[in-house]
Amino acid sequence: MPDITKVKLDFPILSQKMNDQRLVYLDNAATTQKPKKVIDAITEFYEKYNANTHRGIYQLSEKATAMYEDSREKVRAFIGAEKTEEIIFTRGTTESINLVAYSWGRKNIEAEDEILLTETEHHSNIVPWQLLAKEKGAVIKYIPVDKNGKLNLDNIDQYFTKKTKLLALIHVSNVLGVVNPIREIITKAHTSGVPVLLDGAQSTPHMPVNVRELDCDFFAFSGHKMLGPTGVGVLYVREDILEEMPPFLSGGNMIREVTMAETKFEDLPLRFEAGTMPIAQVIGLGVAIDYLKSIGMENIWQHEQEIVNYALAKIRAISGVTVYGPEETVERSGVVSFAIDGIHPHDLASVLNEAGVAIRAGHHCAQPLLSALGTEATARASFYIYNDQKDVDQLVDAINQAIKILK
Amino acid sequence: MSISDIYREEIIDHAKNPRNYGKLADFDFEHKENNPVCGDTITFQLKLDGQKKVKDIAFEGNGCTVSQAATSLLFESVKGKTVREIKKLSQADVLDLLGLDNITPSRVKCALLSLEALKNGIKQ
Repeated sequence: MPDITKVKLDFPILSQKMNDQRLVYLDNAATTQKPKKVIDAITEFYEKYNANTHRGIYQLSEKATAMYEDSREKVRAFIGAEKTEEIIFTRGTTESINLVAYSWGRKNIEAEDEILLTETEHHSNIVPWQLLAKEKGAVIKYIPVDKNGKLNLDNIDQYFTKKTKLLALIHVSNVLGVVNPIREIITKAHTSGVPVLLDGAQSTPHMPVNVRELDCDFFAFSGHKMLGPTGVGVLYVREDILEEMPPFLSGGNMIREVTMAETKFEDLPLRFEAGTMPIAQVIGLGVAIDYLKSIGMENIWQHEQEIVNYALAKIRAISGVTVYGPEETVERSGVVSFAIDGIHPHDLASVLNEAGVAIRAGHHCAQPLLSALGTEATARASFYIYNDQKDVDQLVDAINQAIKILK
Repeated sequence: MSISDIYREEIIDHAKNPRNYGKLADFDFEHKENNPVCGDTITFQLKLDGQKKVKDIAFEGNGCTVSQAATSLLFESVKGKTVREIKKLSQADVLDLLGLDNITPSRVKCALLSLEALKNGIKQ
């Protein structure tokens, strides 16, 4: 197992004090901190080989292109895709899902067709489909969630009808950390001939992911939630589907030849990467993947299991606390959503900030799920590879302090 | 501004025991405002007298200490004020009522939800 004291030292931001306290960063489901290696890689790009990719006939551009494409190969291997042509760089999970909705969705979804989602989705996997459904006259259906945040799959077959064109769902809940039983669901969908889009924003950073084993058709995730820079994300699409998809954004970089009358488009994957891409960020993501692999995704998952179980036990012991999500032990990533009787999560977050502890308070961009859980806002602590038991202890001390001030 | 300033006794008291809480049976208009960032909500009814002064006001809401205390303090202060006077109220006036002049931008939004509700309600 990794030595977390040493891991912490790889992250320059974590050495600072916050309000005279040791900084404890527990908002990793929102974004993660960056190791020095990633920060250095971005600086090195701008200091040594900044140039536009895929068109310069000079050494700087060729180096930038090689590094950019090298990152694509790292991403491919990291998620177990078959070909680099299946890896498209985007701005993040949100753009990846929008790309599928605008390109694949507009071509394949017609009036009265059904798009199947779940009540646990992040807004980024609801809103693009609502817009598409409105444009096409299609219908959105939701697989329901119980009051503990578990998908109700008892009658799952009824949701796949002849009109169902797509199932889009979250792999790991950003609010509860619950890992959905993806293989079972995808098998059901494919039996009915329904392709599946998986929102992997909260799974890819925390556990080994293999898109071929999962057998998903589309897979979306973000770089900044897995130690990489903001502004870069990934969309994986199985090649036979991607080949048939019309362009999304269009312009430079994604073309082969443009005349005044028409355009021939680039081959995959560049056909889906219009304009100058976030080159430094793509390279930074590649270095983040190197870092994650040096620790090992299985080790990261195990470490988070230890931390989350330690945190669950300590937080559940606080009087007046509600911990959201299933009570029984389920597959759960490093996320704890909770509330304290009579204390609004915003007030809790303010007091915790004073104690150097950064958590998230609010609806976490998943209002339908919070409404199913019977609340409007929760406090959420989310962990990553650099968090240790001492961080959890500081969190729990701060919660107890908040109860004294606010109750 | 330290945490004990934000959560001093007067503010906690207004949040726990908000003044003018509930519903008016007889009112001139009703308005609901929510903060999309945190989901805080305020619904209020307002009754004017013959001189277009606030005769009565009542609200119900969900939210953090800062948003609920600000609503309690602000609504208490507008009783007897004219619609014109209310339209002139500024952000600084609300922060003055709360005695908070240096809270972080994200918490300022909590404090100002009540003012936004009042102004949008009057506009309609």
